[in-house]
Amino acid sequence: MNRPRRERREEAPLESAGQLAWLLGTLLLVTLPHVPHVHPWVTAMVIGIAAARLSLALRRRRLPSAWLRVPLTLLAFAGILATYRQVSGVDAGSSLLLVMAAMKLLETRGRRDRAIVVFICFFLLFAAFLREQAVWSPAYLLLTVTVATMALLQTARPRAPLPPAEALAVTGRLLLQAAPLALLLFLLFPRIPGPFWSLPQAGGRAHSGLSDELSPGDISELVLSDEVAFRVRFDGPPPASAQLYWRGPVLAKFDGRRWSARAPAYLPGLRRRLERSGPEVGYEITLEPHRQPWLLALETPIDWDAPKAALSSTFTLASIRPVERRLAYRARSLLSTRTPGSMPAPARAADTWLPPDSNPRSRAWAAELRAASRDERDYLGRILAHFRREPFFYSLTPAALGAQSVDEFLFDRREGFCGHYASAFAVLARAAGIPARIVTGYQGGERNPLGDYWIVRQADAHAWVEVWLDGHWERIDPTAAVAPERIERGMDTAVRSGRLRGAEALRGSALGQRLLLSWDAVNAAWNRWVLAYGPDSQQRLLRLAGIADPSLRHLLALLIAGMSAGLAWLAWRSQRRHSGRPDPLLRSYRLLCRRTARAWRARRPAETPAEYAAAAARARPELAAQIRGLFEDYERLRYEPDADRAAIGRFEAEVRRFRPPRAPARARA
Amino acid sequence: MAAVLQTAANSLGRRLRRWAAARQGTDPVCVELEPRRVYILPTRAGLVFGAIVFTMLLGAMNYSNNMGFALTFLLAALGIVSIHHCHHNLRGLSLRALGARPVYAGEPLLFRFALENPGLAARWQIDLRWDGGPATAVELAPGERRLISLPLPTARRGRRRAPRLSISTRFPLGLFRAWAWVDMDLAGLVYPQPASRASGTPRGESGRQETGRDTTGDDDYSGLRDWRQGDPPKRIAWKALARTGQKLVSEYLSGTPLPRWIDWESEPAGNIERRIARLARRVLDADASGLDYGLRIPGSELAPAQGEEHRHRCLRALALFGEDAGR
Repeated sequence: MNRPRRERREEAPLESAGQLAWLLGTLLLVTLPHVPHVHPWVTAMVIGIAAARLSLALRRRRLPSAWLRVPLTLLAFAGILATYRQVSGVDAGSSLLLVMAAMKLLETRGRRDRAIVVFICFFLLFAAFLREQAVWSPAYLLLTVTVATMALLQTARPRAPLPPAEALAVTGRLLLQAAPLALLLFLLFPRIPGPFWSLPQAGGRAHSGLSDELSPGDISELVLSDEVAFRVRFDGPPPASAQLYWRGPVLAKFDGRRWSARAPAYLPGLRRRLERSGPEVGYEITLEPHRQPWLLALETPIDWDAPKAALSSTFTLASIRPVERRLAYRARSLLSTRTPGSMPAPARAADTWLPPDSNPRSRAWAAELRAASRDERDYLGRILAHFRREPFFYSLTPAALGAQSVDEFLFDRREGFCGHYASAFAVLARAAGIPARIVTGYQGGERNPLGDYWIVRQADAHAWVEVWLDGHWERIDPTAAVAPERIERGMDTAVRSGRLRGAEALRGSALGQRLLLSWDAVNAAWNRWVLAYGPDSQQRLLRLAGIADPSLRHLLALLIAGMSAGLAWLAWRSQRRHSGRPDPLLRSYRLLCRRTARAWRARRPAETPAEYAAAAARARPELAAQIRGLFEDYERLRYEPDADRAAIGRFEAEVRRFRPPRAPARARA
Repeated sequence: MAAVLQTAANSLGRRLRRWAAARQGTDPVCVELEPRRVYILPTRAGLVFGAIVFTMLLGAMNYSNNMGFALTFLLAALGIVSIHHCHHNLRGLSLRALGARPVYAGEPLLFRFALENPGLAARWQIDLRWDGGPATAVELAPGERRLISLPLPTARRGRRRAPRLSISTRFPLGLFRAWAWVDMDLAGLVYPQPASRASGTPRGESGRQETGRDTTGDDDYSGLRDWRQGDPPKRIAWKALARTGQKLVSEYLSGTPLPRWIDWESEPAGNIERRIARLARRVLDADASGLDYGLRIPGSELAPAQGEEHRHRCLRALALFGEDAGR
């Protein structure tokens, strides 16, 4: 008898406009970040259904029947399959969720259906963060969760929504109390480094960055990119710009035109065997995700705290996994132009090898020059001098080169950028039997005085050469011979051609420059403090808190202690709110009784105020007038129907002023 | 699968009820919902919410996505805080039972309660229901006290013991449900359903047989007498009242008859309930006629009298016939 009644109530399409508005608002907020990424029909469908739902509610019409809903849902799913050809991946997944949320809107009959719409919206917000985590993301998170909480609060009500002011107050209270707990969880919840399952490509967006290959023309694309590669903060005074060679992959395989990296070898204990001589510099790098394993470091890295990273035999620091998220790590480097290594005979053969039929003119020229030189060092010096003396130009837009790329560059075109110079130099060195390889990475960087850190952009990508001389790999940067300003003052001053984009134009003006740097400083702080927060940061945090050897146990203990304290505070606060009687008069009366008790004895439970006052007045005649007056005031205020607040306030003040001297021991007894 | 879960949930619910009953015992008529008697469990939506937060946590870990972590932890904290608010929405409330008026079998007993919120915070979305029954929703402003009538269906005469009362809330987000069970040992009196008039008067039975006179009709008017407590208003001589200021009642021949007895023995033997129904009908009829009447049933005899109080005593005796004897 009771059941049908309840069901009927829940099945009525009863959203008041107030409840539905919050639901639609939540859906709108979580849809927005997906709009640029999902196929337009998905967005159109969500908006269309939301509008239809709103119009049905406003006209108090029935919701569509299953005959319409089920085919529509199947059609939408088929559409997603047809559009994306998969259901995994952020784009397909969020499209699916969007369609589900929209379809669920059409059958929100009960509390539970409405809650499910909100829950799907939470997932959509999560998916949006997989796409982008920008500085404004936390604000968006708070806004959306606030609206979603309002939606949950309002739709959890069986009938009319709460009055807006009341609902906002409840939501605000919930969120304000949840925020500190959430912060605590964020800081202290043990971060287990992922991934547990494979990461789908985030929307197929290509990340620019170094690659493990170099053929003429490659780096020019990078150089046109204004994207940040990483940011650096030096522990002490930063080294000169000319010393900032950020080492990336080393390319030692040459096929006549293209350089590529050999499979990296990791020598156990390499870090221990390093000779630590010369000036060292410590710094912290916040690396943007580039989907490659290497971690950039200043030459020559000797110490680092990046997790699961190792130094390869070519002194490239690399992680065992591609860098999929922003990563912060600290490192120390020797500022030296020499890299240690060893050169057994097979390695020498490999590192001097040139394809037999490639670049014949260069090799002939090299043989000639080598014969005229005193020794290897002299020979290499003569090559650099040749670059300087002859009309070689530094250009970011050189003409395309053919198969004999080095020949063409050296003898015909004579214009190019770091890749061309490094490649030509290494080929010339090898042609003379000197082991040589190309190191790619970044050179220089832009100092941001606002945040006191350095920004290294993709535009700072660079390639230089290492040659084996005197038992070391020695760095030689042939580009410096042609365009020394590129090395000394950075990319910007060296090249002002062909890469004027919006940001570039802005950078032209002083104010624009300042704005850009400020914005970058904000971003850098966001990346460094929030996005790069991870297991290592937790360790550092615990060390800051004075725990010498932080472990998971410490983390959990702190977390539990913090959460308990938070909840206890909450309980204490609500206790007062929920059961405290809002009666200032009673409070003052209790105080009066306590004060009188101090002067004489406590009021017995059965004593009326008048009786107690009379007895106290007899026992302490010197206080009689005061006590009688106060107790009479109390009774009058208590029973007078129109006792006003001001009178109660005056009474309160008088009670506060009433400080009778303590009772002598005998009087108390 | 769903059926198995449902069965498991029901069995768990029964155990929980037994446990709570053993723990709390019977309550006095005025109860404050102290923290220890307010229970709380997640609702189905709450369980789904928990699963979602857990999934997001795995996702955030997998992608090392710090905004994902932020969302996950904010939602988790929101859930935790809402447990607290849900529980506090009930605790501290005080409930006082005000009883129920007797009704005839088949009509719902309306138990009245006063629910008071002594705190500074409003209490939202509070549902009162008999265990398993339909809910009556209440909201209380700070300091507000509200009267609530909770209907309890009745089927048969006698003392109807009220089942356990449940006070519950899903405020604020519907993720948790806090509830308290209150068992005040309340009972309402259910009068027997009177037999319908047609079948009401048993053969050979009427007032006349006992009084020897007709009980109605103006022909038997015999004069005025002083008004007595319990005289029906329709017999007050309004004209005389207006003239003399004295309250007099028209007296009929039947007005001073021998007291009329409604006797168990005068009913044909047979089904006890039917017999009681007919007796109830006669009590009502006699009451309506404004004459003195008495009730004689096995085990009790109520001397002839009239008035509301007397009618109640008679109906009560009929309602409890056979019930108290058993106790």
